[in-house]
Amino acid sequence: MIIQFDRIASVLFLAIGVLFIIGSQQLGSSSYGSSVGPDIFPLILGIILVLLSIRLFYETFRQNQQGSKEKLLYKPFLIIFIATLFYILTLETIGYVITTFLFLFVCFQTMERSKWVQSLIISACFSGFVYFFYVEILKGTLPDWPIWFS
Amino acid sequence: MSTIDYLIQGFGTALIWYNILFAFVGVLIGTAVGVLPGIGPMSGVALLIPVTASITGGLPPEQAATSAIILLAGVYYGAMYGGSTTSILLNTPGESSSVVTTLDGYQMAKKGRAGSALSIAAIGSFVAGIVTLAALILLAKPLSSVAIKFGPAEYFSLMLLGLGAVSGLAGKSVTKALIMTVCGLLLGTIGIDSVSGIARFTFDVPWLYQGIEFLTIAVGLFALGEVFKTILEKDEEDAEIAKINNLLPSKEELKESAAPIVRGSLLGFFVGILPGAGATLASFFSYILEKKVSKDPSKFGTGAIAGVAAPESANNAASGGAMIPLLTLGIPGSGTTAILMGALMMYNVQPGPLLFEDHPQVAWGLIASMFIGNIMLLILNLPLVRVFAKIIQTPKKFLIPMIIAISIFGVYAVQVSTNDLLLLLVCGILGYFLTKNDYPIAPLVLGLVLGPMVENNLRRALTISNGDFSIFLTRPISLVFILITLLWLVIPLMLKKRGKDVIINIEG
Repeated sequence: MIIQFDRIASVLFLAIGVLFIIGSQQLGSSSYGSSVGPDIFPLILGIILVLLSIRLFYETFRQNQQGSKEKLLYKPFLIIFIATLFYILTLETIGYVITTFLFLFVCFQTMERSKWVQSLIISACFSGFVYFFYVEILKGTLPDWPIWFS
Repeated sequence: MSTIDYLIQGFGTALIWYNILFAFVGVLIGTAVGVLPGIGPMSGVALLIPVTASITGGLPPEQAATSAIILLAGVYYGAMYGGSTTSILLNTPGESSSVVTTLDGYQMAKKGRAGSALSIAAIGSFVAGIVTLAALILLAKPLSSVAIKFGPAEYFSLMLLGLGAVSGLAGKSVTKALIMTVCGLLLGTIGIDSVSGIARFTFDVPWLYQGIEFLTIAVGLFALGEVFKTILEKDEEDAEIAKINNLLPSKEELKESAAPIVRGSLLGFFVGILPGAGATLASFFSYILEKKVSKDPSKFGTGAIAGVAAPESANNAASGGAMIPLLTLGIPGSGTTAILMGALMMYNVQPGPLLFEDHPQVAWGLIASMFIGNIMLLILNLPLVRVFAKIIQTPKKFLIPMIIAISIFGVYAVQVSTNDLLLLLVCGILGYFLTKNDYPIAPLVLGLVLGPMVENNLRRALTISNGDFSIFLTRPISLVFILITLLWLVIPLMLKKRGKDVIINIEG
C-alpha cells in the first residue's frame, strides 16, 4: 500500500517539479537592474523537487512489501466528506446558522446513530452560539439568514 | 533601557485584565488539547488562530498581536502540561511528547501513586518553565544583537539550516521530508512577487494573487487531516481512569525528583533551542539520561518517580527553548513554532532580531505572560486534574464534527472566501494520506511560512554578489551554517546505513 502510494506520489511530485520549472521559464529573469529575477527561486526549487522525486521513486524499489491491511470505515467518512462539501458550497447562500445546524446534525448521527434529541440540541446550541457570539458581540461577518427567511 | 526595565514593562502588558484572561483561556484550552489524544499542540494552535484573530479584532494592531500570541503560546505550553495527565492515568499519551511518561507514570498510577505522579509532573513542568524563561530573558538580547549583524547571505544560510534540520529529523524518510519542505517553499512562491510585482503561477485567477494563505493549509493538513484519520480508523477503547488518592507528593518523593527535574529542565532547554529537535526528542533524551545517571536503572519502567519528573520537565523546557530561535532569529525550529510565527506575521509583526526593538511590547509581553501562564497552570493542574481527566471521555461523536465546524468557521471568518474552504477540505484529505504514508507535514508548513523570507534573502544576497552563488561559501558565518546543514542531513543517513536506530521527532 505504502509502496504503491510512494510510486504514484513520486510521479506526481516529479510532474509538479517539471511544471514549476516550465512555469518559471515564463517569468522575467531580471528585475530593476538586478540580474536576479523572480524566476530563480522557483526554478531552483523545481529542479530540487525533480531530483528528490526521482530519488523517492528509486527508494521504492528497495523497500520490502508490508502487507498490513487495516479496516477503514469508508461509509461514515464519505457521508461526512460529502456533508462538509455541501456545507461549504451552500454556506454563502443559505447562511451560517442553518447550514451549520444541518451539517452538525448529519455528522453527529453519522458518527453514532443514537440519542438524536441530544444531537439536535447540541447542533442547535453550537450554531446559534457561534453566530450570536461572533456576529452580535464581536461584530464580525458571517453569512446571514437567507433572504426568504427574514 | 536595560533588560529589567523591559521585563517590568512586559509585566505591565501581561497584567492588563484582558491579557490575563487571554493567558488563562490559552492555558486552559492548551491543557484540554494536551489531554485529548488526536489533537496535538500543532492542530490546536492552528485551529485557534482564526478564533483569536476575530476576538482581538477590536484592539489596535500591536496590542492585538500581543494578546493573540499570549493566548496561542499558552495553548502551546499548556498542552505540555496536559499531555502528562492521560499518560499517567490512562496509559494513552495525549500527544507525542508525553509518550515516555507512560512508561513509569502509568506504573505509578497502578500502584496507587497517581496523585504524586501527576503533581510531580506539574511541579516539574513549572520549574522547567521558569528555568527556560530565565534563560530566554538572559539570551534574548545578546542573541538578537548578534543576529542583527547578519547580512542576507547569512540569513539565507541560517534559514537553510532551520529547514534542513527540521527535515532531517521530521520523519522516517529524509527524502520525503525534503520533498515536503520543497513543496512548502514552492507553495510560498504562488502569488504576487514582492520584489518585482509580477504575478507568479496564478493563472490569472484573482483568488491566487494574494498567495496561498498559510492558515488554510495548516488547519487543513493538521486539524482536518487528524479528524479524517479518526473517522476512518475508528477504534473503540474505553480505558479505565486510574484513581487519584492523595495529590501531594511526600517529602521523600520531592527529594527524589528534585535532581531529575533540574537535569530535565536544562537538557530540555538546550534540545529545544536546536532547530528540528523538539519536545518529543527532549523527553526521550532526558529519560535515557536519567536511566544512565540512576544508581538503580532496573527501577525504571516499574514506577520510578524520576522517570516521570525528568521527561515532563524536559518537554516543557523544550517548548520554552523553542521560543528562543523564533523570537530572536525569526527562525522556527518546529511545526508548532512555525505556526506561531505565521500567526505573528498575520498581525504584521515579523519575529527576528528586530522584534525586540520594533515591538518590545509583543516580545516582552509574551515573556512576562509565560511566567503568569506557568503559575496558572500549576494552580489549575493540581486541584483540577480530575476535571481534566474527564475531558478525555468527551464522546468522539460530538467532538469530531465540531472540530470540522470550528475549522470551517475559523477559515471563513479570516478569509471570507468559499475557495479557501474548498482548499481547506482538499488539504484535509491530503493531510490524511500524507501522514498515513510517512510524509511529515510540519516541514511543509515551515517551508510555506519561511518561503518568502528565504527567497528575499537569496535574491538580495545574489544581487549584492551580481548573481554569483559563491557568496554563500565565501562569507565565513554563512559557510558554517551551510556545513552544519549538510552534516545534519548526512549524518542521520549514514547512521541509518549502518543499521542504527535514529530517533526521529514526531510532533503533532
